[in-house]
Amino acid sequence: AGRPPPALRRGLAKAAGPRSVRQLREAEEAAPVFQYAGKAAKRKDRVFVWGFCYSGALGVPSFVKPDVGWKKPRRIQPTPYRLETEEKISSAACGYGFTLLSSNTTDITKVWGMGLNKDSQLGFQRSIRDRTKGYEYVLEPSPIPLPLEKPQQTRVLQVSCGRAHSLILTDNEGVFTMGNNSYGQCGRTVVEDETYSESHLIHQLKEFDSRVVQVVCGQDHSLFRTKKGAVYACGWGADGQTGLGHYNITSVPTKLHGDIAGVNIIQVSSYGDCCLAVSDEGDVFGWGNSEYLQLASVTETTQVNVPRHLPFKIGKIKEAACGGTGNIVLTEEGNVFVWGYGILGKGPNLIETAMPEMIPPSLFGWSDFNPDIRVAHIRCGLSQFAALTNRGELFVWGKNLRGCLGTGRMEDQYFPWRVTVPGEVVDVACGVDHMVSMVKSF
Amino acid sequence: GAGPRLDVKASGVFVLGIGHGNKLLTDLYDCHLTKVYTVGGLFGKATDDFSDTGKLVEKTTFDHITREKLERILAVIQGTNHKALLMHSNIDMKTQEAYELAVKGLIRPMGKSPPIITAIRCLQFALPEFQLEIHCLHETQQYLRKIVHEIGLELKSSAVCTQVRRIRDGVFTLDDALLRTQWNLQSIQNAIRDCQLKVKTEIEKTLGHQERSCLPKMDAEMAHAAE
Repeated sequence: AGRPPPALRRGLAKAAGPRSVRQLREAEEAAPVFQYAGKAAKRKDRVFVWGFCYSGALGVPSFVKPDVGWKKPRRIQPTPYRLETEEKISSAACGYGFTLLSSNTTDITKVWGMGLNKDSQLGFQRSIRDRTKGYEYVLEPSPIPLPLEKPQQTRVLQVSCGRAHSLILTDNEGVFTMGNNSYGQCGRTVVEDETYSESHLIHQLKEFDSRVVQVVCGQDHSLFRTKKGAVYACGWGADGQTGLGHYNITSVPTKLHGDIAGVNIIQVSSYGDCCLAVSDEGDVFGWGNSEYLQLASVTETTQVNVPRHLPFKIGKIKEAACGGTGNIVLTEEGNVFVWGYGILGKGPNLIETAMPEMIPPSLFGWSDFNPDIRVAHIRCGLSQFAALTNRGELFVWGKNLRGCLGTGRMEDQYFPWRVTVPGEVVDVACGVDHMVSMVKSF
Repeated sequence: GAGPRLDVKASGVFVLGIGHGNKLLTDLYDCHLTKVYTVGGLFGKATDDFSDTGKLVEKTTFDHITREKLERILAVIQGTNHKALLMHSNIDMKTQEAYELAVKGLIRPMGKSPPIITAIRCLQFALPEFQLEIHCLHETQQYLRKIVHEIGLELKSSAVCTQVRRIRDGVFTLDDALLRTQWNLQSIQNAIRDCQLKVKTEIEKTLGHQERSCLPKMDAEMAHAAE
């Protein structure tokens, strides 16, 4: 015999129709609250890369050797791509087809390198397949072992890369140099017929008037700025870029004089064959190549081998950066001035100028609505410029060689253009055809 | 005729035209001028239609949000929209003309484009409430509500929009707007007269001298209306 069905109950059934305000409020109050971020949530440090991939300089192996069969190799990364790194990267430098990343940690591994390594600019990278050989191309950030006396105490402060050599600055063990030394750019005697590939040689430089606080690589020369405000140079000098009063190569870091003798230099810059230095009083000095009007404000000669003061009347200068053919400075007021040759950032009509011209601040986002925006830092690659604002925005302009501007388009950019980066850009390093940026997440 | 739409849940400046004013409305539309809104938001919940009267989707914590974090997100929104502004304006970026316009801030899309925010800033911030001022083009009020929702997501929380109020539509501001109590013939006539010059100047500046021949007709309309 079947049981009679249980009496239909209306007790638990709800009446149909739109819910009343009270019902809505009660339902809302009963809903669970999700926490995605607590009060102590920290902003994360990230590294973004973009530009030409095939040299391995971006550090993403799958761009060059896809990990899945159907993927194609990527020749150019046109927009910022996040690079996973183990440590917080405090300094980055882009060379000609290679990159160095460093962290100021006290851990044993402080510097990583990727990209071209034919001159051992990334040190000796032992091949897994044949342990007697070294890699010519390094596709992902690989540790560079440094011959430190106190590896668990010494910190790496800064790195710099040139055409085929690298400089690594430490806090109390001087400067380490690696890579090509055909012109003495590594600060050691030139050895005839030396083979630079698969070399284990890392040279250490300690003999300066005081502690070195900044290292800069030009194309084939090196500049060292010391705490006392002096500048030393070594390497190729045919354009006078060593500033030592001659056009020969120098294989030992030697102090510069000329107009910077006795001057407290607080910043030095170079990337091609021209060099700029800024003093604590806001003056700017230049030497080296002037074929592109970089130093035409003081001389008609195309090479200047002694530092000369550039008498610009644009206000006190805070920072300077040198590219291959163009130069850029940032004044204390936050204005940006450019001069030289190429795409300077004031439209296609301005191709060359010997005197600095200001880039209107409105191009960096300044307006009546946003009057507090200022450019905080300026950087130069070989044929492109970058500017960082105090709001953490990155603007780029110049030749878009192999997508190095990161705008997502392949065209050259004739005036400052925002690069969309998911985060606040803290610093950027510009190379020939790629860029690396250090970013804080929101 | 009426100017750009204002949906049911929003309030603020709403432009109407009578007689010849309709032609002027079309011309003003072709100028693609920005509109300004004050948008109120509330952190802590997300709803299906992004407003505070919608169906609750999720509640989240918001005590980690600071004004500084909010302003950082606003800076990003402004940046990406600035790019969109330049890209939809159909100007060849490689010309000197493009550079000149970019410097003056005059590049803006003169045709159809997706909604673009030209400026955004935080007016008030008192957790969980906040108020933004948004300058935009080609927008809908629902788009603005969606922006509030997305700001909530970016800040790792959620937000709903409590108020959308248009405070400026092209050349017309709140001061030009007539209150309910002023909807009578005399006030309307005065308002038309007061705005005449502003409208004429803006149309001429942006579209050129095409409209000059049409304005005397408008005076005739007004004379008619006065009678």
